Amino acid sequence: MLNTVQRKMLTRRLLQAIPVLLLATFSVFMLLKLLPGDVAITLAGENATVERIEEIRRLKGLDQPLIVQYGQWVWGAVQGDLSESLLSGEPVATTLARVFPNTLFIVLYAVTLSVLIGVPLGILAASRSGGFSDKLVMVLSSVGVALPNFWIAMIFVVVFALNRSWFPATGFVSPFENPLEALWYATLPAVALAASGMAEVARQLRSSLVETLHSQHFRTLHAKGLPFRSILWKHGLRNVSVNLLTVISLLINRTLAATVVVEIVFAIPGMGNTIVNATLQRDFPVVQGAVLVMVVTVITVNLITDVLYSILDPRIAQR
Amino acid sequence: MNNKQLKAINALPPLRRRQVLSGLAGLAGAAAIGGIPGMAHAAGDNVLRVRANANPSSLDPATGGSGSDHVFLYNIYDTLVDWEPESLAPKAGLAAEWSFPDTTTLVLKLQEGVTFHDGTPFDAEAVKFNLDRNRTAEISNIKRDLASVASVEATDPLTVTITLSAPDTALPLILSDRAGMMVSPTALGNDPEATIERNPVGTGPWSFVSWTDGEKVVCTRFDAHWRDGIPGTDGIEMFIIPEEATGLRAVQSGQVHISYQLSERQKVLVERIPTLGIVSGPTLYIHQLYVNSARGALQDVRVRRALSLAIDREAFVAATQANVGEAAYMNLPKAHWAYSEAAAKLTTFDLEQARALLEEAGYADGLELDLRGYPDQGSVQRQEVLLAQWNKIGVRGRFQNAPIAENSGRFFGEEKQGDLLLSAWTGRPDPSLTYSLLYSAESFYNPGRVTPPEGFEAAIQASRESSDQDDRKAALDEVQQMVMKAQLSIPLSVRYEVDAITSNVQGFNANLLGKPKFSDVTLG
Repeated sequence: MLNTVQRKMLTRRLLQAIPVLLLATFSVFMLLKLLPGDVAITLAGENATVERIEEIRRLKGLDQPLIVQYGQWVWGAVQGDLSESLLSGEPVATTLARVFPNTLFIVLYAVTLSVLIGVPLGILAASRSGGFSDKLVMVLSSVGVALPNFWIAMIFVVVFALNRSWFPATGFVSPFENPLEALWYATLPAVALAASGMAEVARQLRSSLVETLHSQHFRTLHAKGLPFRSILWKHGLRNVSVNLLTVISLLINRTLAATVVVEIVFAIPGMGNTIVNATLQRDFPVVQGAVLVMVVTVITVNLITDVLYSILDPRIAQR
Repeated sequence: MNNKQLKAINALPPLRRRQVLSGLAGLAGAAAIGGIPGMAHAAGDNVLRVRANANPSSLDPATGGSGSDHVFLYNIYDTLVDWEPESLAPKAGLAAEWSFPDTTTLVLKLQEGVTFHDGTPFDAEAVKFNLDRNRTAEISNIKRDLASVASVEATDPLTVTITLSAPDTALPLILSDRAGMMVSPTALGNDPEATIERNPVGTGPWSFVSWTDGEKVVCTRFDAHWRDGIPGTDGIEMFIIPEEATGLRAVQSGQVHISYQLSERQKVLVERIPTLGIVSGPTLYIHQLYVNSARGALQDVRVRRALSLAIDREAFVAATQANVGEAAYMNLPKAHWAYSEAAAKLTTFDLEQARALLEEAGYADGLELDLRGYPDQGSVQRQEVLLAQWNKIGVRGRFQNAPIAENSGRFFGEEKQGDLLLSAWTGRPDPSLTYSLLYSAESFYNPGRVTPPEGFEAAIQASRESSDQDDRKAALDEVQQMVMKAQLSIPLSVRYEVDAITSNVQGFNANLLGKPKFSDVTLG
């Protein structure tokens, strides 16, 4: 499937990922420890005494030197043990296995919507460059980029959930449980997330397509008598596909981060909600585990993008 | 390009605006049609759905730490002693009656025919096991609650005799809290150090089914519950939605039946929604300033008194709670059985006296304070009102805000940062606990670890020596006046329960503890 050059590139990228993972988890660990606040105080409860807080520190190993605590976490993680939540006692791997697919589902749904709507709009704008459709698309996408997605989310809830009852106002159904219902529950959050995504795709696609269509190479195609639609669909889109791929991969990574707020607005049990709550309560095993999964996801998306680059444009793998 | 490819490309539809727009309209139509049939409403089954505001810290009463856990725990566990919702006066629970034959002995007579969800009979041995676990096990977070218990004996299958190391008539109400929630000894394998944080077994109205962290806790009716007709629904599902506005939307859209502990400001919003009802009333939750009386100017009682006297609490409630609530002049709300009129009078709004006290203390030109608080919208609003009011007596400062875990750690923990912390006291079932936890010299919530006024410990002890409510009230009166005269904390306002309910919810009432119970609720 992959040729030798591509395989070499893949190996190189995978090896590069190891220090990235270590660096990311180590910085997060240290940042969490540098933050004031103590999970032992939370754990000691309402009737906390100074002795009880000390006792809890000892019981949970929080009195160990930082580097030892980090070392223990890495050693466990290498063996697949992400430790347990300090607060609820649930194994972190179980929590993440439950919440990550939810976030991934919404992200993929949102990115799919962004592409399905953004690409036609981008092409439309580019093919009518300077015309009314172009201006309309550009205005719409400026609005899409400018509006914060949590605001769009709240407006959608008021209109489509509270006034019209078309979609649920809050909550989530796992796609493994009931795929159709999952889509129904995820639609409002995904559309809210996709608003800026589709705008971004449309804008980027339009500008690179306009640039390509105005190049000398395309003037020649035109001069040779090729119809405009074949110039656009066959040559134009292939030329901008690498750019489009870059936009989409960045979009996936950015949407992953943007879920934090949208998950809170819709009460979706996903990664964003989990990270925010765990950070506020200094539940560092959960934060560490979640960061690890996010970093691995971003690295994977980048890796897939690299492979697709090398397929679309074989020169890239050799660089 | 070969001819075939060229043909294929030319066969593609030419891209016209009309086509793109109609395609988009089609997509939107499909999405809308897909959405209509389901209707986002709670199903017609007899299951109560409630929006909860935090994930439980644990479902084992002995190991949990958060005040928001009780709402979950009450579903699964009964307590030895119960309370009257309006006044928190103690009443029968799993203990049908109790008595103090002498000041250091408490005898509990248990209800007959009670079983745990796993079939284990509930008897005096089970009570002894639980109380001993709560007061001695290493895993227990509530050892302090039962510090006065010296030993527990199962005198006969339905009688428990508790011997105390010192008189403690606060104990019955303490047994209405975590310490009195009875866990099945069988489920713990009769090992007091074992825990059932994620698979709780009690005697309560519902038995546990599942807990998905940060998402929901599901319980189903316990048919063999000892109280007839309890619970009122076949099941209860608690949906964990920390964000308040989202919680309100959940009940507005009919996805849940009850959304409790909304903010006072949301009451106006709920009133505008015709399909929702409101349940509201005072709670023990009091917004207050914690004072580190061991720091700088605050070592002087005149300064602490001036800070308190300069606050117009009625205006504070109007500005920060949309007038839903009451001014707090002491650590208890007016409706509480131990409320002290005399203590409340000590802190009435008096700018002149406040200025005079500051001048006397040597701060005629004003005073700069190191203030701490939390960053949420409600807290910031309270801070702004306070600063505006203090400005009139020349007290200045800037609130340094950080999340609760961070700032309370700094303020109460070893760092001892900040002069004052604007936070809250969530209340305890017995008021003597509130006072000893807030003001005892070694208490965590006494940030300066300052020694309370002379006679404080004796008065607390006196309040625990009589089981007569009037005698107890008199003793607590003295305690409350002592701490308000010394102004060891500055109470500001009483938070009111604001719960939004759907029109089919019946039998749901607010209680003074501010931690709702759902066992009597039915769905009409």
